[in-house]
Amino acid sequence: MLLAPPTIYFVLLFVVPLIVLVAYSFYTYSNFNFSAKLTLSNYMQALSNPALRAFYFRTLKIALGVSVGVVIVSYLFSHILMYVLPGARRILYFLVLVSLFGGYLVRIYAWRTMLGADGILNGLLVRLRLISHPAGFLLNSNFAIIVALLNFLIPLGVLPIFSAMQNISPKLLEAATDLGASRVRIARTIVLPLTSRGIRAAFAFCFIATMAEWVTPQLLGGPLDQFVGNQILYQFGQTLDWPLGAAIALTLIASVVVMLGIISWLLRLVTR
Amino acid sequence: MTGRRTRPRRAGARTAAWVYVALMLFFLFAPLAVVLAVSFNPTANMNLQFTAFSLRWYHQVATDPLVVAAFRRTALAAVVTAVVSAALGLTGALGAARLSQRWRTVIFTVPLVPLAFPALLFGIGLASFYHAIGAGFSIWATIAGHVILALPFVFLVFAAALERFRFSLLDAARDLGAGSFTIFRTVTLPLLRPAILGAMFLSMAISADEFVIAFFTAGSQQTLPLVLYGRINLGVNPGLNAIGSVLLLITMALAFFAARTSVLELP
Repeated sequence: MLLAPPTIYFVLLFVVPLIVLVAYSFYTYSNFNFSAKLTLSNYMQALSNPALRAFYFRTLKIALGVSVGVVIVSYLFSHILMYVLPGARRILYFLVLVSLFGGYLVRIYAWRTMLGADGILNGLLVRLRLISHPAGFLLNSNFAIIVALLNFLIPLGVLPIFSAMQNISPKLLEAATDLGASRVRIARTIVLPLTSRGIRAAFAFCFIATMAEWVTPQLLGGPLDQFVGNQILYQFGQTLDWPLGAAIALTLIASVVVMLGIISWLLRLVTR
Repeated sequence: MTGRRTRPRRAGARTAAWVYVALMLFFLFAPLAVVLAVSFNPTANMNLQFTAFSLRWYHQVATDPLVVAAFRRTALAAVVTAVVSAALGLTGALGAARLSQRWRTVIFTVPLVPLAFPALLFGIGLASFYHAIGAGFSIWATIAGHVILALPFVFLVFAAALERFRFSLLDAARDLGAGSFTIFRTVTLPLLRPAILGAMFLSMAISADEFVIAFFTAGSQQTLPLVLYGRINLGVNPGLNAIGSVLLLITMALAFFAARTSVLELP
């Protein structure tokens, strides 16, 4: 059977590793090592540690904000491509698609050079006499993290929203126009409900990606601007407490799934 | 009624739309343009005050054995990822194409899971897996993970190509007496060539640009993104712009070809 090779590969290198991760989250850690003595204490610690909770809510706040921002920007962009500038649709979509696959780390690094004290943005602001001294708050701040996240997530938001909009039959819109519906009414009562799935997919992509992000806060944020992901990394890289790291990661993903369920339901109500 | 397709839009709306699109694309491409521009600046500052055009940093990077070794590993990972994921994705898509509608819905949902799955969790999962089975960390461990990341994209590209594929051609070839292998080599493969090329370019772009999985599984056999990361942590070094630019040009070129050959399908 032709489906067997990819299925076996997928199970062996995706499903099994995640099962191992779940197993490790119940292991006991002591002295930079861990053993197969099963315990629930990693989960207790992951749920009760106040510092972890603070990092979690910080991450959640930024993830919600960034995802909403990405959806709005991508929706407007898709709308323009479909209905305002259809002649330039191909080339503009092509550009966004190409930018999606280019330079995750390079982009983050670029924002460092642009937002730094001797960076381009500060240089420009000083030369325009908008500020007298280079501003320090641009880099190593929430601002830098949010800008970089928006920068690489917007293409990811455009993809599902644009393809949902593209699947709407033009005949439907023509019929509505012929029956005298205004453009705003068409956008609200036809296009929005029919792109609801795309909106929810875009939101989910961005929300998941931001909740589990760690590179951006590490390279662009200050010491207090870190995400939950950095705490997971800390357990895996520094303390070697893999069981605790695994428990934090798994509680994180469980909470993300639950929240996405709720948010998706809310979005369906709003876009109905 | 009027018979007009759409009412004419005010010129102002079109201008506003162009401004919006231009600002968004500027925002998306500005960091990439800056890294490229600064990489040709011979002085070691990061603002765009150009003194001259120079390949100084490229020369420095090209003679750095660590960077060259990382470049080789990145290329190896990209090529192997492309070949393995294309082979697996094509067999999977061919298998899925002849399933009943109900099973196809299931098969088409599965690839979406790794697509949306956070790289951090997959990374620590893979690291735990290699640790549990006693396999060390290496570039091959990373490649095995990259195949998982590329597989959903490759599968979806092939599935889309097979939607338009005329399976009756295979039956015709069989009626004319061709064997399974001959049919695959002379009918299936040539017809799917654009999709295969597109999927391979796409997997190469994904692998070459990938950082998180490599971070957790490559060990000391660093890829180019890992070298970049290590040096960013050491402090700002203008040679980084050259490494970043090389990485960027390669992945963008691959993504460009991928989009041109197969992914971009607009009416």
